[in-house]
Amino acid sequence: MENEPNKLLKEFAPQLEQTSIQGYAWIIFLLAVIGLGLFAFITQVTHGHEVTGMRDNVVWGVYIVNFIFFMGISYAGALISGTLHLFKTAWRKPIIRMAEFITIISLLIGPCFILLCIGRLDRLYYLVIFGRIQSPITWDVIAISTDIFGCLIFLYLALLRDLATLRDYEILQLPKWRKKLYKIMALGYTGTEEQQKRLNRATNIMAAMVISIAIIVYSVLAWIFSVTLQPGWHSTIFGPYFVIAAVFSGSAVLIVCMWVFRKIYHLEEYITKKHFVSVGLIMLVLAAFFGYFTFSDYLTKWYGSEKNDELLIQLLFKEFYWPFIISNYVGVLLPLLVVGIAKFRTITNITLTAVVVIVALWLNRYLIVVPTLESPYLPIQDSRPEWLNYTATWVEWSLTAAGVAVFCLLFTLASKFITVVPVAGLTGETKPEEALV
Amino acid sequence: MKQVLIAYLYFLGGIFTVLHPDVSMAQDKNDSSTGTETMLTLKYLCMSNDSVTLTANLSVRRGDNILSLRKAAIEFFTSIGTMLKPAGKVFSDQEGNASVKIGLAGLTGNEEGIITYSAKFTGTDKYSPANADFSAKPARLQLSFKIQDSIRVLNVTATQKDAGGNTVAISKETVLVYIPRLFSLLKIGEITLAEDGTGSFDFPNDIVGDTVGNITVITRIEEHDKFGNVQGNNIINWGVQKQYYKAEVPSRELWTPIAPLWMIITLIIMLAGVWAHYMYAVYELIMIKRLGKKDKPLL
Repeated sequence: MENEPNKLLKEFAPQLEQTSIQGYAWIIFLLAVIGLGLFAFITQVTHGHEVTGMRDNVVWGVYIVNFIFFMGISYAGALISGTLHLFKTAWRKPIIRMAEFITIISLLIGPCFILLCIGRLDRLYYLVIFGRIQSPITWDVIAISTDIFGCLIFLYLALLRDLATLRDYEILQLPKWRKKLYKIMALGYTGTEEQQKRLNRATNIMAAMVISIAIIVYSVLAWIFSVTLQPGWHSTIFGPYFVIAAVFSGSAVLIVCMWVFRKIYHLEEYITKKHFVSVGLIMLVLAAFFGYFTFSDYLTKWYGSEKNDELLIQLLFKEFYWPFIISNYVGVLLPLLVVGIAKFRTITNITLTAVVVIVALWLNRYLIVVPTLESPYLPIQDSRPEWLNYTATWVEWSLTAAGVAVFCLLFTLASKFITVVPVAGLTGETKPEEALV
Repeated sequence: MKQVLIAYLYFLGGIFTVLHPDVSMAQDKNDSSTGTETMLTLKYLCMSNDSVTLTANLSVRRGDNILSLRKAAIEFFTSIGTMLKPAGKVFSDQEGNASVKIGLAGLTGNEEGIITYSAKFTGTDKYSPANADFSAKPARLQLSFKIQDSIRVLNVTATQKDAGGNTVAISKETVLVYIPRLFSLLKIGEITLAEDGTGSFDFPNDIVGDTVGNITVITRIEEHDKFGNVQGNNIINWGVQKQYYKAEVPSRELWTPIAPLWMIITLIIMLAGVWAHYMYAVYELIMIKRLGKKDKPLL
């Protein structure tokens, strides 16, 4: 009987060996969107931030929203993959690689949006030279860079077995440079008892580390807002609220990725309805927590009747009515209904719910950033309405689209480099159907 | 493949045109801006040192917005009887403002002593010419300080010249008293001038000055039909000295030289803990590589 890695690799080989016309078209489309983003970036650098909707009052716009969103799904990927690994969840294996990819790819994209916010990019190095430890911005820089290293190590450890498998699978029709790269990256791993022991030990430690770092780093991001005396931001529950919102959005992104790769690479045998239901249930629990935190935060603000908080809540229910309803009602109730009622639990329904959750969580970040900045404590003298009210411009939307395109492109390229389902992980220990809940 | 590429290029072009209306609308914009009507305003301020400051502002209306025109040449003139005398040419700044300071010596007005000042923008291909003028009679506000029965008193004298060149009092006008603060002028009182052109004001004791207690006091007659804006200012050492308190221990402010000790210790412990685990994971990878050198392939 053919051994398991060989059998699985034979099945996954077309993913790695060939790219279809549709695949090329998809990549060209993504490059075109990225090109548009580059044009927008050049426009912004040459004309300054005047080409964006950001002004004296609303100094943060969709760039920061995108930064929080991408960092959120990154930490969610780390938390989900780390937790599933650490607790040795049986059904994790077909989807854990996607969670790891989400982590590292979004972690590379997120900070780029911060750079877009900076008016004087030529002074970026000041952050290192003159950075003060007592500044939350410095905490964020330290936290994110530490997190990137941690996630890279964790991802590498998780890939090592598959890299060795790909190195040793000679039938694979790949260019020489790729085979050489697999050889270098596999670090001579041959699966001996001692090597497995060391790899498991390192992976377990890094799984625990990425979970704790993800919680700390996303809390630091929340503290940037909550340590500021701004209406809507100065809240003690912002740290855990951000973490919950992050994992909530990340679980939704994972479901969408599962659906996309299941369709493209015909992984129906490996990613089944049970996987969707399992991740869907995680999303359901997180939706309940997210709803609880949101209600708790707004209830205390509303009941406290502090003038500026009241004005902010009025603003949310008037000018931002629909985003507020989609973010805090639809985004919370839909997962509870669709995943909570067994009759509605289909792959399509869960995926569509995940899409709604992603939109809702992006809007949630928008509602955290923009309305607060539109409700300043001190009105600026001679301020004009167009300076107070924020509307994103084509430059910001183009760069947002480019960020999403880079995410999709890197995910596509990563899936061309290594299988989206760990082949080594599915061998021996668990067969897909047996491993699933 | 080629067809797909062409289709995507068209698609990109479509997206670009929709998202960047400036490209397709550029010609229209240029056409519509030809000969756009400009607006020129002129502000006048007569100082107690026999000079006036003229500030012209040039702007243009675009839809609901009023935009300032920068780098536009504004010419200033003063009247000598019925003749116009050039007083300078200044280019407008980012806010569309151009200012010039003119000495009053040698300037004569009409029979009432009123001098007309004017500003002129000659226009360009894109923007229409504009003029603005302002007429006012020079006046003077003088400040003096006195302590009477332990009360600090600010005295103001307002004067003007008559047709014969003699100094005469300005009576029954309101003079506003200001103190410059960080963002704007703080009004601290009003004085109504007597028949002899003098007035007084009990100066408050609690105004914060600079580190030695100096305060700049500004008095103004504002938007007067005849005199326009007249200003007199002086410095007096009647303020409360500004104190700078040094923090005894490092606090969280960004301008403190060092972060609080607890923060540094927490950060070091956390970073050391995290990076030690990273190092351990990297060490395990190195050991895996060493072990791999003598082992056989996986498959």
